[in-house]
Amino acid sequence: MIYIVYIIAIVSAMVLGLILKLPLLPEQPIRKSWTTSVVFPTAVLALGFTAMVSKLGYLTSTNMDYLIALAIGVLTAIFSKYMLERFLPPQNSEESSDESQEASP
Amino acid sequence: MNEIIGIIIAAVISWLNFVLIDTWMGLPEAPGVKGAEVIGRGIQKRGGDLAGGFFQGNIVCSPDASAGTLLAAIGCFAIGIPEGGFVAAILVFFGNRICADPGYAGTTGALTITVIIAATSYIGLTPEMFIAGMMIAILTIQGLHHPSSSKLLGKIAKKMGRYTEIK
Repeated sequence: MIYIVYIIAIVSAMVLGLILKLPLLPEQPIRKSWTTSVVFPTAVLALGFTAMVSKLGYLTSTNMDYLIALAIGVLTAIFSKYMLERFLPPQNSEESSDESQEASP
Repeated sequence: MNEIIGIIIAAVISWLNFVLIDTWMGLPEAPGVKGAEVIGRGIQKRGGDLAGGFFQGNIVCSPDASAGTLLAAIGCFAIGIPEGGFVAAILVFFGNRICADPGYAGTTGALTITVIIAATSYIGLTPEMFIAGMMIAILTIQGLHHPSSSKLLGKIAKKMGRYTEIK
């Protein structure tokens, strides 16, 4: 049952992410990309948030769990699309931030 | 399983997990922050390898697969398999983003070791063995002799096509 909850959370986050026009994968080379995509980090965040909610005792082993999983997926996709880059803005390197500070008056 | 044998097996698995994932994700290619470059150059001055030095500098300066491996093992020990590993992955991701790192190495390392801990629990390996094993694994890279470990990391980087182009 818990595995179905994880699957619902991840799939709903990915589907809503695609609807919100997040790219499926970051651009190549992926290991250097800061792009927020459906697979990374949206699916990973959905997995982690579901584990947190599960261990905090909010899952009740009833059909309500499926709705909770759906809500986690929806909120995760919205978080990835609209909030992640505000809380944790991309930083390509320390040098670039130093340069921008020097350039500003 | 005997605890000592378990810790040795866990150390070998943890070492392979974090070294291979960190190398694959390009840690030896370039320093992510200035601190990693300082460490890399310092190790090179003492007779080490520059790519291996960048690798060592990067894992000091942000939570990469090494931290992911250790935190996932701690998470599994503290709150259960596999939830602890999933929570560790998300925390490592946020830590990565704070440390000017996109976060692929750390989260991948946390998720792979969670799968490995879950699979090896059937042969008697426990999360606490992985915690002790990871401490030994990171000691061999960061705690014994930097020039030697950086040369080994440089060789692995060359074989995996991730050697640095910086001179």
